[in-house]
Amino acid sequence: MKREPARVFPEIEEYREMLEIKHLRAKNHFVLLLLALGGILTILYMAITHYQLAYTLSLAVAFSALILLNLACLAYGRENIRFNQLNKFVTTLGVFSVAVAMIFIFQSPSMLSLLFIAYAIAAFYQDRKVMLISNVSLLFMFLALMTNFRDFFKVENTSAENDFGLYFFVIIFISLLTISQYIMIKQKGFFYNQIAISRETEFRNIDFMIDMCEKATGSKIDTKGYFAAAEAFSKALSEKIGVDDAFAGKLAVLKDLEAGTKYERIIEKHPEVAADDLDRMSELLFTGRHKLRKVAIKMSRARAVDVHRREIFSETQFKTFNHPSDTLEIKIIAFAIFYAALKRGSAGMRPLSEAEIYDAIVHTDYYFYNDPAVMRIYRENNAVFDAIVKDAFAPEGGK
Amino acid sequence: MKNFLRRVVNTDFLPMNEVRKIKVVLVMTFLLIVTAATIGFAFYFDYTNAVKIAVMAVFLFGSGLIYLLIRFNRIMAAIHVTIIYTIALTMFYTQGTDSFYAYLFFYISLTVIVFYQELYIFLSYGTLVLGYGIFYIMFHEANLIAPTDILGSVYAYVVLLVLFYLIFLFQSMNNEKLYTDLNLEWVKLNQVIGSYQDFTLFHLEEIRKKSKGVPFYEDRAFRKAVDELSVFVCEQLKDRGKEITNVLDLYIYIHERGLAKIIENEELSVSTKKIANRLDKYLLNRRTDMVSILMNFFTRFRSTDGYRPNRYEYHLGRLAPSTAEQVIALAFVYRYLANEPTAFDHYGQPDKIMSHEEICQLFAAPEMDEFLSDGQIAFFKENADLFRDHLGRKG
Repeated sequence: MKREPARVFPEIEEYREMLEIKHLRAKNHFVLLLLALGGILTILYMAITHYQLAYTLSLAVAFSALILLNLACLAYGRENIRFNQLNKFVTTLGVFSVAVAMIFIFQSPSMLSLLFIAYAIAAFYQDRKVMLISNVSLLFMFLALMTNFRDFFKVENTSAENDFGLYFFVIIFISLLTISQYIMIKQKGFFYNQIAISRETEFRNIDFMIDMCEKATGSKIDTKGYFAAAEAFSKALSEKIGVDDAFAGKLAVLKDLEAGTKYERIIEKHPEVAADDLDRMSELLFTGRHKLRKVAIKMSRARAVDVHRREIFSETQFKTFNHPSDTLEIKIIAFAIFYAALKRGSAGMRPLSEAEIYDAIVHTDYYFYNDPAVMRIYRENNAVFDAIVKDAFAPEGGK
Repeated sequence: MKNFLRRVVNTDFLPMNEVRKIKVVLVMTFLLIVTAATIGFAFYFDYTNAVKIAVMAVFLFGSGLIYLLIRFNRIMAAIHVTIIYTIALTMFYTQGTDSFYAYLFFYISLTVIVFYQELYIFLSYGTLVLGYGIFYIMFHEANLIAPTDILGSVYAYVVLLVLFYLIFLFQSMNNEKLYTDLNLEWVKLNQVIGSYQDFTLFHLEEIRKKSKGVPFYEDRAFRKAVDELSVFVCEQLKDRGKEITNVLDLYIYIHERGLAKIIENEELSVSTKKIANRLDKYLLNRRTDMVSILMNFFTRFRSTDGYRPNRYEYHLGRLAPSTAEQVIALAFVYRYLANEPTAFDHYGQPDKIMSHEEICQLFAAPEMDEFLSDGQIAFFKENADLFRDHLGRKG
């Protein structure tokens, strides 16, 4: 059975989810605005046309309940992100329920479009589960209403052709909406995916850079010098603000952490700190690949970035071996170079095994970095690829 | 077909131009289905047979045109033609029949237009469809209202169509902003990653020179492997595979001569220069796309710290909640910036160390939002002399 492509870095899943939730709040604001607009228009219409008070009030209550629920979920969403997710499901069901209630109250063919409006509002969330709920609701409600309450939608020019056309085109419309939503949800996923991959790529590239720098130069950070300077700075600062050395305790703990002393020993020595504090404080170490060094490195590059607007959507930003402007020959050569380079390895980059390359190329995002035809050939003949390269790299092979 | 469906399912892995292509193919398929159905529905339309046949011929021509545009990778043109095709279908239905279903075409057209997620396309074609829809409702109300309909039902039709348009307009605007912001962040990140890779590549070269290794493109075994792999793949896809070796020779030649000299060479044909230009991004002697992809791919196989929720957090305020820890963190960061090389110097060596003034300018830059709070920046400014005197450059 074919495996679904996995993320190139498994670490990014949580960050992707976090990005989605961050933008979900902005979408909730839009939905709230639309609900308020819909509610005002409906109540205004019912008031002007002197609709029965019971109906007017029931719709007013329904709209108010939906709006209040949205407000509450937005407020609680700050504390617990799951409320934002709950909101989109409840609102989706809510808008479809209000739409059906309005169809029953008004009993007019014009109200059929309310189901489409409900779908459009739910589509704002661009969420796969919401899409499923919307599709099922739209299809079920349309068929149920057309079958059992056909009179609601009878216009003056009713005919068999009209009936068939209505069923046919609504089904076509729902299919189109579904495909459209599906692709849009996926498209949005692409951006979140790229950002998350870039974050992880950055993290790993800083590590790679640090390791290669230390390997090439043989020099490491002068830990003693850093602590001596920090202690002198801490004393001078304490004097300036007129307090005892406020940082000595923390610096002593950091010094032990930097020296690789076990947590138990540190806690024994400094009873004022707990294991959780040590976990947190280990982010402030600055040697090797530690976080604070990464912060300083990233900071030093911050001003070197110069992005022009025209570059933002440029396809050249997407590094791939499948550029539309390239000929098939170029795409083939690009993949062959990539594959052979991975197999050969170089100083600082060990040669990769066939299993490692195959798994990463065929089962992750990297599959889509290549021309589909080239990928098909590799997938079906990876043993041949392996044999060709092994033969070329054999002691007499390169001659 | 199987491959196309696989690409549809994995759209979230594909870049924008690929997704556009998939969208056009899907809309074309949808239009073909509707056009096929139209042959049946056209029997009930009020047009003369000559008009019906002429319109169907135009639709057939339109389908052929869309196919050709997709085939020759003119995706934006294909998008416009599919939208015009959809609007033409809408007009054909709404002018040809009094039936209620013709009204659905306004929603169908708007859905096709919003599917492409291009704001200017939605604003132009979408508004056109909306205008035509309102005109249709106002002048064909007899087709839409029930014998005992609600008061002002015609206006309900208009309001609901306008609402549908507005919801998708909001959605398009929101997506446009979101995609622009995310793209900007992504491009910035890629540039920063590129700057790390420049450093890494420099050090990798140093290590290679020390170990007396040969570069990729001078390694005969590597060249042989690439040559044989390329010929093998090419033979699977084309009748002859040997021709690809000419392109490969050119690729190696660019490493030796440099792209600029090849472009200047009057003896080489324009097509050769074009190919050379396209191959340039895959060279192995500087940080090209090829080198970046190789490095990124390779990092997947290097050991890394276990995942923690703050893995991508670089803000000192969030890494160190207590003020004392923040001060210490800021001191170490300053010490690092003032003592360790972080950029290339005038001689192309990665030896440039920031001066105190440069660090002050850096800390005052708007880009520091990602790392420092306003309070931390103010603290640094107030005590800049202490930072310089105690944490500044050694010796």
